[in-house]
Amino acid sequence: MTAAAAVATSATLPPRNRQQLIERLAGCGFAFPAFALLLLIDIIPLAVLLYLSFTDYQLGALDTHFLGLDNFAKALADPVFRRSITNTFVYVAIVLPLAVGLGLLIAVLLHGRKRTRSFYEVVYFLPVTSTLIAMATVWQFLLHPSLGPINGMLRTVGVHEIAFLSEPAYVLPTLAAIGIWHLVGFNMVLFLAGLSAIPRDLYEAAEIDGCRGGIDRFLTITWPLLGPTTMFVIVTTSITAFKVFDTVAVMTRGGPMGSSEVLLYAIYLEGYQYFHMGYAAALTLVFLVFVLLFSILQTFVLDRRVHY
Amino acid sequence: MKRMATALGSILLAAIVMATGARAEVVTLDVLYAFPAFAKFHEPIAQEFMKRHPDIRIQYRAPAPTYDDGHQTMMREAVTNQLPDVYYSGFHLLTELTHTLEKRKQIVDLGPLLAAEGAEFRKANYSDRILALGKVDGKLYGLPFNASTPIMMYNADLVKKAGGDPDHMPDTWDGIMALAKKIKASGGADVAGIAYNVNDWPDVWLYHAMILQAGGTVVDGKSVPLGGPDLGVKVLDRFRNFVSEAGMPLINWDQSRQQFIAGRIGIFFDTPARLRQVTDLIGDKFTLRSATFPIDNKAKGGLPTGGNAALITTHDAKKQKAAWEFIKFETGPEAQKIVVETTGYLPTNLRAPGSEFLGPFYDKNPNFRTVALQMERSVPWQGYPGGNSVRIWRAQREIITSVMRGDIAPKAGYDQLMKETATLMH
Amino acid sequence: MATSLPLPGQAHRVRPVTPASALARRMLTLLIVHGVLIAGAMFILLPFVWMVVTSIKSPPEIFAVDFSLWPKHFNGVENYGNALSKVPLLRFALNGVIVCGVILVVQVLVAVPCAYALAKLRFPGRTTMFALVLLGLCIPIQVPALPLYMGLARLGLLNTYFAIMMPFFLSVFAIFLFRQFFRSYPDEIIHAARLDGMSEFEIVWRIVVPSAWPAIAAFSVFSLVAHWNDLYWPLIVISDTHLATPPLGMMFFADAESGSNYGALTAAATVLTAPLVIAFLIARRRFIQGITMTGIK
Repeated sequence: MTAAAAVATSATLPPRNRQQLIERLAGCGFAFPAFALLLLIDIIPLAVLLYLSFTDYQLGALDTHFLGLDNFAKALADPVFRRSITNTFVYVAIVLPLAVGLGLLIAVLLHGRKRTRSFYEVVYFLPVTSTLIAMATVWQFLLHPSLGPINGMLRTVGVHEIAFLSEPAYVLPTLAAIGIWHLVGFNMVLFLAGLSAIPRDLYEAAEIDGCRGGIDRFLTITWPLLGPTTMFVIVTTSITAFKVFDTVAVMTRGGPMGSSEVLLYAIYLEGYQYFHMGYAAALTLVFLVFVLLFSILQTFVLDRRVHY
Repeated sequence: MKRMATALGSILLAAIVMATGARAEVVTLDVLYAFPAFAKFHEPIAQEFMKRHPDIRIQYRAPAPTYDDGHQTMMREAVTNQLPDVYYSGFHLLTELTHTLEKRKQIVDLGPLLAAEGAEFRKANYSDRILALGKVDGKLYGLPFNASTPIMMYNADLVKKAGGDPDHMPDTWDGIMALAKKIKASGGADVAGIAYNVNDWPDVWLYHAMILQAGGTVVDGKSVPLGGPDLGVKVLDRFRNFVSEAGMPLINWDQSRQQFIAGRIGIFFDTPARLRQVTDLIGDKFTLRSATFPIDNKAKGGLPTGGNAALITTHDAKKQKAAWEFIKFETGPEAQKIVVETTGYLPTNLRAPGSEFLGPFYDKNPNFRTVALQMERSVPWQGYPGGNSVRIWRAQREIITSVMRGDIAPKAGYDQLMKETATLMH
Repeated sequence: MATSLPLPGQAHRVRPVTPASALARRMLTLLIVHGVLIAGAMFILLPFVWMVVTSIKSPPEIFAVDFSLWPKHFNGVENYGNALSKVPLLRFALNGVIVCGVILVVQVLVAVPCAYALAKLRFPGRTTMFALVLLGLCIPIQVPALPLYMGLARLGLLNTYFAIMMPFFLSVFAIFLFRQFFRSYPDEIIHAARLDGMSEFEIVWRIVVPSAWPAIAAFSVFSLVAHWNDLYWPLIVISDTHLATPPLGMMFFADAESGSNYGALTAAATVLTAPLVIAFLIARRRFIQGITMTGIK
């Protein structure tokens, strides 16, 4: 049905149906460029990946063999892979509440400030702009058991020094702290954007109605209206946390003894260090299924609760 | 009329000569290397080469971050026909890369090219041990450009304080351990006697070094004895003692190096490639000295050689000729002098340590000479059979770290090592 | 929309407020607020302080036991000089600006209509599209990297600005973000505009977008920062250093084999981070302007 014909027929339809038709056409048209790009950049490569996951392809090999579901069976039984799943979940469990909560806290505290606001905003946003290549050395020195200032402070308080990046028990929380450091400013900006979209007259109206005190105001107005933003921050933070890779690759390389080997790093090792591309493709698909299920769950649960 | 014809003729001739002269082509070589910081010697060497060969232009591609990334890039580019003309492959990846490229006929056998230079040239410039590093299946595919074997660096002040003699360091491991223990006792709080970072090394280098120096065998055809039950356990025991008796901190290799630089570790084992960096960062905080790696088995002891070799991966005959000239220059004494002065690597050219090249530099900076003193101990660095070397090392490293932490005993550790390695080799 | 506010006179207990206690409360609140903010700021700034201090120190002072903030031997000129001369740092910055700028423009142009459609329009395939958007969010660039690389190689498009930018033309993050914002936009205004005869296209760009200005400004900063610092993908498709983006510049001073020239590295990092901070400051100003424009809804 060409657009002209559609318009022609629609002119004879009752107004409501015509409106629906326009909505449909506009919707499809607006979403089309994004859809086309999605296809090209994500869907087709995923299909290629799917194909690779059924083979034993190694980069540069001249021939490959079809393996069926062997790679997947191997993945689910692989203790190294299972360990990386656990490590990733621990990391996400630490990063998610703290990165979201602290981002919200800072945003709320800053929203009311006038003179100091721009100073704090820039300060908290700085970590987002940092490049890991340079920051990695900085962190390694700061966290050094005998040379670093952080352990220096611990010693003055009388606490035994901690090898943050080298003790298996401490390495994931330390990487999580660095991840939070990196994300707080990001979430703060998002929450600030959300807060500023709340019309000021609502607050005035509430005050007239007897709503006093910051916490009361927060719970009655701010929090409900921040719903969509909060949901967005939660979903994106958890996805970002799941995708943790850079800090592991540069600072710990999966150590000590594999205690910081997270999912993407384990996949990277398989594909780019051991060159088992077929197996790495299978692992990637398992990873995607995990993350997708997790985020769809979050989205649809939270979406229902924030929709008003 | 005749004069005009002659004049026209000569103009025409001149024009032809100029035209052909202008077409005396400049050959451009596309070169790829790993480790961007190596620009500090690649660029000056290329400049020098281009001065002497105005008809050859060297163009560097964006360098790969590590040997593994470079290897990846080469594999990808082999498949899409985008290979550079010259590439520097890490020794430990040379076999795999060569096999892949050979199947596709994308690599040049350098043997005939070297033979064409004459036996005199070869004997004067390259030792057989060095050339062996670039050989795969008996054929020379890579000309070794950078080479290194592990060296021992030490804090002369801490050694003196412990009663040792910085000019005569022990050359056996028992001797080193004794000294390390004394350094720990006399150095004060937070001072470690020794650091041997096998627990965080990115590859098997330091692990194999400890086995090979005692004359042990790591890989024997298809089997991997890892030194055998006696030596194998002794090595793990030694690693554990570094921690339990000489106070070695179990931290990652960057942090360990930082601690040595700050003057808080007595004896430090590292790659000579870092010597320049370490020297600059220490400054005059303490006296930095270096000595050859302790060798227990003076007759058979060897050291695994790290580094890279230059490969030619172009089909074009003109480019192949130009590339050969280039890598010949690069492995020549002038270029190797630049490499050593900016890093600390072992020069791969026999003439380089001589008095017209590195002699004066070595006299002023004796620490840089150390690695050259152990050149005859170089042996090729072997991967584990089966093509799974990287994964096997990661598993081995975890077990070694457990032993060093004291979580498992050396004997149990060795058994686990053998078991894991055997499993992963299939 | 149902928010329940207590009506005056209902169960809400009103405490008598004296000027003194009000002032005391305000002071206490301010103290706590700033206390928290400053404590957080110290944690945030600690690595940066060390980074900048290192960039002006001479090598022997960087890993000294007696750690001091001010260098005994000021080496700033040499470090920054090294950073700017040994490597075409400014060229890399220019490439960063070109690449990030074009990516951002395309991202916004593609994302805004799509987000509006997902938020406000009913069309067939809407739920599927949203699920696909979520899927896209989960996919890190490492996943499509190899197939995309081979595709670009086939088309002869490797080693071009286009190759660096192409995978990022679509930002599912932007679609998701804008969708959330558009969802809370009052439907009545849209209905009114339709009755006025505005086309959907005009409604999107003339009416709805200005209200989402804070979100667009926020997104712009994220996009710029993320792609400015991106190393992984440019490294795969670029082999000519003239096209390289900023992180490659920093790699010239740091690698695992011969170690880092920490002074020059941190100097390069400082130089290359500055544009991002400036971009953030500019975006903030537009951000605030945007709010004052739309705050009175």
